[in-house]
Amino acid sequence: MTAIFAVIKRLFASNKISFILTTVVVLCATTAGDSQIALSNGNYTWLLAILTPFFFVFYDYIKLIHLGTSKKDYFLGSLVGYGLTALIVSLVNTCILVLIDPLNQTQTVLNLMDLCGWTDNSMFTAFLQQTVFLLLTMIFLHVLLSMQPYWYGWLSDGVLAAIICIFIPVAPLRHILAGFFKLIMFNSTAQLQIAVCLSLCALLSLAGLAVLKKKSL
Amino acid sequence: MIKLTNVTKRYRNVSVLKNVTLNIDEPGIYCLLGRNGAGKTTLLKSIAGYQNITEGQIQVDGKEITPSTLDTGISYIENFAKHFNLPVRKLLQIASEVNPNYDDEFASEMMERFELDGKKKFHHLSLGMKTMVSSIICLASNKSVILLDEPVLGFDAIMRVEFYEMLTESFQKHPRIIIVSTHIIEEIAKTIQKLIIIDKGCIRFFDTLRAVETKAFRVSGLKKDVDAATENLNIIRQDTVGGLVTSYLFDIPPIKTASLEIHPMSLQDFFIQMVGHTGGAKQ
Repeated sequence: MTAIFAVIKRLFASNKISFILTTVVVLCATTAGDSQIALSNGNYTWLLAILTPFFFVFYDYIKLIHLGTSKKDYFLGSLVGYGLTALIVSLVNTCILVLIDPLNQTQTVLNLMDLCGWTDNSMFTAFLQQTVFLLLTMIFLHVLLSMQPYWYGWLSDGVLAAIICIFIPVAPLRHILAGFFKLIMFNSTAQLQIAVCLSLCALLSLAGLAVLKKKSL
Repeated sequence: MIKLTNVTKRYRNVSVLKNVTLNIDEPGIYCLLGRNGAGKTTLLKSIAGYQNITEGQIQVDGKEITPSTLDTGISYIENFAKHFNLPVRKLLQIASEVNPNYDDEFASEMMERFELDGKKKFHHLSLGMKTMVSSIICLASNKSVILLDEPVLGFDAIMRVEFYEMLTESFQKHPRIIIVSTHIIEEIAKTIQKLIIIDKGCIRFFDTLRAVETKAFRVSGLKKDVDAATENLNIIRQDTVGGLVTSYLFDIPPIKTASLEIHPMSLQDFFIQMVGHTGGAKQ
């Protein structure tokens, strides 16, 4: 446990740049005053969830292994790290949605939590829905980034690009893609969205473990 | 404790390790010697589970080692190991947290002995000091197998002596398998118990230093005398210069006669004769 805790501490400590960048963007982002719709600054907190896997995979992995960390501790530490990051980001965005967004009386403030339909439920449920979605995003990125040095990483990139290029223009396929995102993101049925996201997290974690097991130094 | 069975490692069509079989079954400090490109790093990285092998099996303490092994119990360090750019003391503290059996006392003692500035960031250290930090982390981890890949690179003479002392002290405190690969042969001789010589991906020699001291000889003289004296003995190589022949043996010493010169071989000579030649003389 001590080793996993130490890994988490180190992962967070070397993720400072992501924290700083996200904070700067959240604080500085503005929308034109004459626009009817303003984007909530809370939306930009998601940037942290996107940047974090890059640091965990490309910056921390080799250095932690050279310090004697086992692959097992790195893997578990990363998962817990993503979980905590998802909680932090979700908490901050929920606070912005509840406390700061209402201060803008002149414009309609658009927060991703509203857009995804999560706020149709209680604020706590919306917070949980956002957390699991962000967790899924981070684990997905972690797996994809971990695969990049190998042929199957490039193959995955190609498959993803092909899905986007083929599924979007073709109407029936576009509906399938939209249906998938409605399930994991634009879904106000909390139990279903949380269950699907957690199941995908588990599946992707297993895929991540398989990639880690193949990783050489 | 370390068992390699028919291990082969190929990079495309090039075999770097060729059917290596090796059993290291007792704690000790082992020296891995080999020329550049002989396969030392590949062998150590394979034992550490840092890379896949093409064929064969590696077991450490009965557990099969591959990159899939999530917890190998092996500590491997290379001389250009990447570390977080943190003050040395902080780096050692993190190492103590991620290694369950870390010897804090040993690490602190070594830091003081080598006058490592705990406040200095890792990237600001000289190559020798960086290697020293890596070696301290590796040895203090107290894992059952320690693999040090060219640890004395960038060390001055004093640091090298201190390093060999550190190695001995660490082993005496916690006896385990420590394999050190190096090119500086004679200096490490006092520290090690066994010698592994690798050449072109094959293990050419694996025995004690005592065996080299008692069995490695150079016999010079006229060809007929040398041939007669070394008949049925294990000749490693033979040099011929004019009518004189020098045979390099690894066997019982031949019977001394007035026409023969018999000298024990130094470790360096033995290594050179095992893996190559110095040039000049006809082989």
